[in-house]
Amino acid sequence: MRKFFSNPAVRETLRVIIAVSIALALGFLVTLFVSEDPFGAYKAFLLGPLSKFNRFGDWIEESITLILVGLSVAIAFRANMFSMGTEGQLLLGALVSGSIALFVPLPTILRIPLAIAAAMAAGFIWGWIPGYLKAHLDANEIVSTLMLNAIALKMYDYFLIFHIKAPDAGYNASDFFPVEGSLPSFIPNIPIFERAYALFSDKTNITIMVYVLIIAVIAAYYLIYRTPFGYKLRMVGANIKFARYGGIDTKKTMILVFAISGIFGGLAGAHLSMAIHTKLIANISVGMGFEGIVVAILAKINPLLIPITGLAYGYLRAGANVMERSSDMSREMIFVIQALIILFVTAERFLPTIQKRVEERKENNSHAEKIAPSDGGSHEV
Amino acid sequence: MKFDLVFKGIFSAMFLASIMRISTPLILPALGGLITELSGSINIALEGVMLTSAFTGVVVSAFTQNVWLGVLAGIIAGILFSALLAYFHLYLETNIILAGTALNIMATGGTIFLLYILTGDKGNSSSLASKMVPVVEIPFIKDIPVLGTVLSGHNIFVYAAIVLTFLTSVLLYNTKFGVHLRAVGENPTAATSLGIPVKKIKFTAILISGFLASLGGLNLSMAYLSIFQREMTAGRGFIALAAVYLGGRRPWGTFLAAILFGAADALSNQLGTLDIPSQWVQVIPYAITIIALVVYGIQRKAQIVEQTRRFQERELAKVNNNHTTT
Repeated sequence: MRKFFSNPAVRETLRVIIAVSIALALGFLVTLFVSEDPFGAYKAFLLGPLSKFNRFGDWIEESITLILVGLSVAIAFRANMFSMGTEGQLLLGALVSGSIALFVPLPTILRIPLAIAAAMAAGFIWGWIPGYLKAHLDANEIVSTLMLNAIALKMYDYFLIFHIKAPDAGYNASDFFPVEGSLPSFIPNIPIFERAYALFSDKTNITIMVYVLIIAVIAAYYLIYRTPFGYKLRMVGANIKFARYGGIDTKKTMILVFAISGIFGGLAGAHLSMAIHTKLIANISVGMGFEGIVVAILAKINPLLIPITGLAYGYLRAGANVMERSSDMSREMIFVIQALIILFVTAERFLPTIQKRVEERKENNSHAEKIAPSDGGSHEV
Repeated sequence: MKFDLVFKGIFSAMFLASIMRISTPLILPALGGLITELSGSINIALEGVMLTSAFTGVVVSAFTQNVWLGVLAGIIAGILFSALLAYFHLYLETNIILAGTALNIMATGGTIFLLYILTGDKGNSSSLASKMVPVVEIPFIKDIPVLGTVLSGHNIFVYAAIVLTFLTSVLLYNTKFGVHLRAVGENPTAATSLGIPVKKIKFTAILISGFLASLGGLNLSMAYLSIFQREMTAGRGFIALAAVYLGGRRPWGTFLAAILFGAADALSNQLGTLDIPSQWVQVIPYAITIIALVVYGIQRKAQIVEQTRRFQERELAKVNNNHTTT
């Protein structure tokens, strides 16, 4: 048992669980003060996503976006580049893929791959820019990516309002994508799966993006841990000066890190436009890029853990939506919980007392064993 | 014809006065950003501090019906919020960028959450009877034709921005604290070895930057507008950080850079009367920020090259001198 707790991975997991629990408890405390029916509100928040089948679908769809933005953030953060640019890449990805889904006269089998590839390319380009500025001009990546986000948002609005939406439409949104530009359900429409297909496509929008997501997660893992580029990326992240002395072309690596992080951001945009909304709308992403930071941080920037944290965090967000609809609490409470989670999980010295106590006990025990080796516990050493 | 009007609009004393008003909520947080930057931390929570203060100021002034209590509460809220950042960064060893991001998220969500509880509205505080700070006319100057329009008749924050730029300059370059602060930012290890309390100085720098940013936030909700709106800072905290770099990390440089951003913003308001899609005009300040980063980067590169060249020449001269003497 003691060995179990001294395992760093276990301790890290415990730390995350404790941090999330404290944040949720504080959230409940606030609910107690504010809500007329705090228990009902919190029950809706914590159990909402599982209460109805369509809510379950909302949860999964939301999580797919979160996992994609989480991967995008993770790639940049792993190289110690604090790119906040996922939001902008996502917007352009949505814009480009949506335009192709709407206007390019190709059959489904060509149109959809083209739309997804174009979204990835848009993200790549929008990520390349801050990478270049950082590598060659040492421009602060936080400022440059935030400015590029703002520019991307204005571009998105401009094209949506002046070129994409129907001229006589009273609201800023495109038409729904035509059948040729819509993603098929993740369950193939063949006789064996007939019932499942009917059930899922009736109540949810879960599409083949699920498979794209699985490929993306594996690709991100493989890229970071199993390729020469990934090695360079991690070296730059661990110690950029050392990496340069070691003969790594740090500038090229940095630019590529930003650009590849952009690919995942663009992909998330394609998912927002083609799978979730199936049309282009104003304010398509309200800070989704920043949610990626939470997902990546909770996963300790490990691509294989991001699906888990993405699903968990998507669950909380979907729960907050249910809570808002079914009680007097507003969904913005989730932002406060989210902020607390980031703070607690990233605080290096948060819960040091627990860790210290574990270490102290270990030391005491080894002392005790030295003094009295006949006490049986010595086998453990 | 329309161009005529726009040009008249731009080349007028009123336009210059509006630049001053629009720049103020950038100058104040930019000074805060400068102080943390020079102390060696990057304060990306300026945005959150501004929002928190803007909200607190409006709410307290509405409930006490006293504008100065509102301002005071806003300042205190801003400083406490910054203390949270400083505590997490310096004592719990959280990465300051992540802590700042978290606090920005908390401020955005928290203000909307509380606004909804207090007013039942998630958009703005128009149902609260909040107060505005007074507009001050400067005697004598206000009667001078053009200068009077530009300099006089502003709210107190505009004057505060100018005075505080001066005070920041004095603090950084003419006091012991300022020297210590810059030493900590330049080389914390060396500063520690000299017995300078690094953590304490960094903590204080973040608190001062919170104070300055809180004034910027109060300016938005109690002078520039008379209400609190959700997400009303609209990225000003980040543009303020960009102003620090564009201004060459110096107080008056930062001041001028913030005014440049303000001017771009004011210009986009003026151009709005033309048939240009507003999105293109609104992009201007952001594009200028990126260009500013590029220019600053090129400048600094040139500086480093120049310094290296001088160093090499000096060393070469030394070597040559040694040869001639021996």
